Formats: sequence, structure tokens, C-alpha cells
Amino acid sequence: MEIIVCVKWTPDTSEADLAIGSGGKDIKRDSLDYDMNEWDRFAIEEAVQIKEKVGGKVTVVSVAPEDAEEMLRESLARGADEAFQLWDDSMEGADGFATAQVLAGFIKNRPHDLVLTGTLADDDCGGQVGGMLAAMLGVPSATLVSKLEADGSTMKINRELEGGLYEALEMDLPAVLSVATGLNEPRFVSIRAVRKVASVEIPVVGLDDLGLEESQVGSAGSKLQIENVSLPPEGEGAEIVKGSTEEVAARLAEILKEKGGIG
Amino acid sequence: MKNIFVLAEHRKQNLRDVTWEAVAAGRALAKELGADLACILLASSVGGMAEKLAQECPKVIAVEDPRFDTFNSEAIMKTLAAILKDQGPYMLLMGNSNSIMEIAPGLSVVLDAALATDCIGLEVREGKPMAVRQMYSYKVNTLVSFKDADRVVATLRGGAFPFAPSGAAVGTVENLTSPLGDERLRKRFLNYLEAEKGDVDIASADIIVSVGRGIGDEPDMDVFQSLADAMGGVLACSRPIVDKSLLPKYHQVGTSGIEVKPKVYLALGISGAFQHVGGIKGAPLIIAVNKDARAPIFRVAQYGVVADLNEIVPALQEKIEALKG
Repeated sequence: MEIIVCVKWTPDTSEADLAIGSGGKDIKRDSLDYDMNEWDRFAIEEAVQIKEKVGGKVTVVSVAPEDAEEMLRESLARGADEAFQLWDDSMEGADGFATAQVLAGFIKNRPHDLVLTGTLADDDCGGQVGGMLAAMLGVPSATLVSKLEADGSTMKINRELEGGLYEALEMDLPAVLSVATGLNEPRFVSIRAVRKVASVEIPVVGLDDLGLEESQVGSAGSKLQIENVSLPPEGEGAEIVKGSTEEVAARLAEILKEKGGIG
Repeated sequence: MKNIFVLAEHRKQNLRDVTWEAVAAGRALAKELGADLACILLASSVGGMAEKLAQECPKVIAVEDPRFDTFNSEAIMKTLAAILKDQGPYMLLMGNSNSIMEIAPGLSVVLDAALATDCIGLEVREGKPMAVRQMYSYKVNTLVSFKDADRVVATLRGGAFPFAPSGAAVGTVENLTSPLGDERLRKRFLNYLEAEKGDVDIASADIIVSVGRGIGDEPDMDVFQSLADAMGGVLACSRPIVDKSLLPKYHQVGTSGIEVKPKVYLALGISGAFQHVGGIKGAPLIIAVNKDARAPIFRVAQYGVVADLNEIVPALQEKIEALKG
């Protein structure tokens, strides 16, 4: 089975101190650490597990600048057979649509039975690329996939609905599936595995090879435009309890007792 | 924008809450833009649901087809594309539910529309619609515009657009024939599955101690269980804890996990992404402890502590035990 996995290079903002950049249209990115989007690591693992079971090839691809090479190398160490970086400086500032357009340009000319990606990315929290890519490729899609099982030319999947409910679906291939976190346990990558792929070439694919124009990618090709970004004030809403550990613990215990939090 | 459309979502023949919230958002927007509001209902049997919608919406476009029964995204997408393709400038609103997350992106491509997902606010500036959404671990608010798009799709975060029944509208119901031919769908529903049940039922607990990513990579879960025991409550968690196999799925609070309605919710190391907070119902007392002063959880908590859990948790347990005497 030919599997293509789309991954994203994202700043880790979950515990970082964020500040707004001078233009007021984005956060300051210089001091942030970048890494593969957490959801996408599950997509790679799933692809590699399917390959190990039924055979085939796993290709990892990302619309990402030079710095992201380490992410693609990690993908190879995780068991992907090849990796491609799609980049041109004009791709900067892309929304979900412009990103999907670039991925579609790459994927449509390559064999693909299954395209996997994470459902969401932590930076734009958009959850758009998988479904858009499927529509551009003219294939069916599903999101929040929590289990998948290849069965010849079809795939059996479970996807998450709300309140602990799931739906089981059967899908024709090719398809684009956006996975949920937790559908597998991404493997530990040993130093040996990383060394093994240290010299593998990771081609950079530009606009011409993708058959795209500058106006179709990056902020120019985006349908959304960011007007401004802002940080809500710290602790807005909550009364912040301050003091020594001892004092804070005592105050919390009192609040809990008073409000029925000690049963 | 001439028209505002709202897609009604249903499950097992019942309209879902997100539908009414989208109606509320649609009403406000239609008023501000001077546009017409219509609700689109695609169901295997539209009768009762169409009637309910018509009480709140001036127009209901209803289409029946058995393939809409389980809200199959392929059937819904194809039908919406057929209904909307000849419409003038419009905005389509839908709840940001797990089903719509599967429909909206592909639909926006087919309709050649701009898409903003998971919006927490909608605004009109100089006659143009704009949306407020969150980025960067839900810590940053972003105002987005749609360039010059004359077709816009927006999905709305659950709970962000409160609905109050007006009962004033007596809408018309226009029934359309399903545009779907007899082609076989490439995506076929098999069955619903319920999540595995465990030895703890967090859905009925009054006191919940809930842990998230902030407890670290190799936490000692006994410390948190022991605090929950001291409080006479149960231990719950957010998604990353289940993903790391630190607790079974039936401990997970959230829209994709279990909905809880406790009296007291102690959130430890939980950032407060909407998927998590959306699972906490009934407005309990929320106390949050987190290292990050900008964690979104502090916006929904009544009391917050910005501190290291390793120090607070044992100290808190000690105080609680002392109070219990």
C-alpha cells in the first residue's frame, strides 16, 4: 500500500510564555521551540504499522521551511521510506487552504492509496487541511479517526463522536484520513535509528515542480487574512490565590470545604 | 452577504444543541447585515425537526434521504453543494462538532468558499463579516477576515453563542427533493460504538480531581488518586493522559470523552483546551492549578493557583486531612 503522511512544523506554545509581535498580527516566534505537530506523530506511526502489516511504502511530506529538515529526518527514523520538503519563500503565511493546495499539488502526481495526517495542529487550531486536501484530490475523507484497519480496496475505521460515542465506517480507497491522538503509541526512536537515516537525501520541492504559482500559495493564496492577534489578560476570570505553598494549600482546603469539595 | 444559512445537525433523529447555537449566531448576523436567514435540514425524516426549526427560523429548507440518517459527511457535503451552488453571496454557519469537522473543510473547497473553523465570535466591520478564533494552544485570540470572498463558511465553538428560544418566528418549510442519485457512497456507515465502561463512573461524580499534561511525563499517579480519595472524589483527566496510557479512556473528560457535571472540579496541570472544558457541564466550582499563568483554564475557573503541582498537591492533601479531623 502506498501511504503518504502529511506533517506540520509547529511552535510549541503549550507552556511557553507568549508575546505579540510588533505588527500585531502574529506572536513573537524567535524564542519558541519548534517540533513536529503532536497529532502528526500518531499519523506516521499508524502508516508505519500498516506498512509492517500489509507491505508498501510510507512517504512523509511537509510544507515547511529549511529548519524543518530535522522533523523529516525524525520521520525517516520512525520508519518512513522517503521524505519530501515542499518549500518556497512565497509559501510563508499560508492558511489551511493554501497549505492543502501545495500538498495536493505534490500528491496528485504520485501513487497514493491512503493519505494520513493529524486532525488538528496546535498552532492554528484549524483542523482544515485533511478535509480540504481530500476534496482537492477528489477522494473521501474522515477526521478524528481512532482506529483503522486496511482490508483490500476498502478501509474500516472508527471515528470519535461526542460523549464517548464512536461511529464505525467503511471507506473506499484512496482516502484521506485525519487521525486522533492516542490511536497508537508512537515508537521510541533510538539513536541508532536516527544515525541510520543521517545521510538520506530529503529533496526540497519548489513551486515549478508542484505546478503552482506564487499567487496560489502562502498568504497570497490564503482565503483567510489575520487582522490582529491579542492575548487575553492573565487569569481573567479566576481569583488567583497567592502566598507560600503552605498558605495556598490552606486557602484551597478552606474553599473546598466551604463549597462541598470534601465529601 | 445576502443570505445566512445554518446547517441543522442531528443525531438519532434529535436536533443537537450546536444547531440552536448556530441559529442564535445566524439571527444576530442576519440582523446586522440585513440578510435573510434560512436553516437547512438534511435528514432521513424531516417532519418533527423541521417544525421545531420553523419556530425559531423564518425559513427551513428540508431534504429527505435515508443517507442523511447518520449525518454521513459525503452525502451531506454533496447535497449542500447542490443546494448552495446557485445562491448569491452567503455565509453558512454550522456548529464545530466532530461531525461538522469532517464536513466543513471539504465543503468549503467544493463551494469555493473561505472557511473559519471553531469561531468564538462573529463580527461585522464596514459591512464585512469577520470571525474571532483562537490559536497557539488556545492562548491567543485572532480576528480574521475573509478577503473579498462572497461565500463564507464558519463553524462555531460549542457554548460560545448562547441560544434563547424566541418562539416568535413561524417559518415556512420548503421541501426539496434529494439531489443524490443512486450512486454508491464511498463512505458507508456501519454502526455506532459506545466507549468501554470502567470501574469508575466520572459522569455521576460530585467531586472530581482532574489531571492534565502539566503533571509531567512520568508522574506518580498515586499522588493524585490519593488526593481524590482524601476529598471523597474520583480521579479524571484530559486527553494527553489517556494518550500516554496513564489512565484508561473512561477517565477522560471532554467533548470526545465523557461529559461530567460535578459540584467541584479541581483541575491540576490542565491547560483548558475547549475540547476539555466542553465536557464540564452544570457550572461547577472550578479550581485550577497550573504553572502557566496564561493557561486558558484560568478563564473558566473561579479560583486559580500559578504554581508547581509537586509542591501544592501533597500540602493540599495534608490540609484536607487536617480539616476532616
